[in-house]
Amino acid sequence: MMLHLLNRSPQFDGLYWDLSEAFGADDHLLLIEDACYAALPAAAASLAAFGGRVSVLSEDAESRGLLGRLSDDVALVDMAGFVALTATFPHSLSWF
Amino acid sequence: MTTMARTITVEGREIALDPEGYLVSLADWTPAVAEALASEEGRALSAAHWEVLTVLRDFYQRYEAAPAMRPLVKAVRQALGEEKGSSIYLMRLFPESPAKVGARLAGLPKPTNCL
Amino acid sequence: MQDDEAALAADTPIAPLDLLVILRHPPHGSSWLREGVDVALVAAAFGQSVGLLFQGDGVFALVEGQRAGPLGQKGTHAQLAMLEMYDIERLWVSASALRARGLTPADLMLPVQLLEADALERLVHAQPHTLLF
Repeated sequence: MMLHLLNRSPQFDGLYWDLSEAFGADDHLLLIEDACYAALPAAAASLAAFGGRVSVLSEDAESRGLLGRLSDDVALVDMAGFVALTATFPHSLSWF
Repeated sequence: MTTMARTITVEGREIALDPEGYLVSLADWTPAVAEALASEEGRALSAAHWEVLTVLRDFYQRYEAAPAMRPLVKAVRQALGEEKGSSIYLMRLFPESPAKVGARLAGLPKPTNCL
Repeated sequence: MQDDEAALAADTPIAPLDLLVILRHPPHGSSWLREGVDVALVAAAFGQSVGLLFQGDGVFALVEGQRAGPLGQKGTHAQLAMLEMYDIERLWVSASALRARGLTPADLMLPVQLLEADALERLVHAQPHTLLF
């Protein structure tokens, strides 16, 4: 079980690909900073490899004007939820 | 960039040293420079010292970096055999720190991967 | 050498190392690769067991025939050649990254083990400490 943190927009598709290779069946992906743009419905293809186990940090989405525009398949998580996630997963890995 | 802190004179040439006593320009190195740096520290270089300095210079030639202690031991073992490829042997030759003292005398930059 | 280059079988156990360093950046264009290798070398110099995983453009770090830049800038090929002197011998490469770039193990300067996505996932999950560069 591993929590993956991702902070680059979907235009870095090589990074998304590398992450998908390391992503396991019990893993979770949290989108932060510019990775919030991957949660737009138009970017759904960039998250296809992650089986719906994806959340987006609401504070970062809000500051980018994305609240209300995000895909229903991506869960919103606030800072407290972020902390709870890191406590749930024994390991985390940042992709940037 | 390495900055010059002082110089030593070897065979009439002014050799620039950085604040830690390493050569500013690696091209300045000659065996006489090594002797001068060693005598500054109160060391006389024996044949045993020289063969290790040669291993160090070969290492730098090949890998473009000065070795930390572990790879130095390994390189000495490969070049000079099991008996000399030990940290005890190298510590006897270059007390304090074989990787740092050896690099300085061999005219290499300070090893970056050893703290 | 041939064994090293074989793909990792699905049931081969992967032992945890003290540190796994993932390298995703190519040589010369930025300092990411050099910094990642430096971290691996420092850890190994202190006696830690270290492995490297090359993913994405990081596989270009292993291409045979690299040299200094046109203005004499140091590359990372000499640093990679030095890994064995630091006893860093576990070098894994994403098989898909290599394929996507039209490369095969014969193009690489060091013997490596290729990982398909399932083995790569198992490797990353087996490691308690991973750093990404």
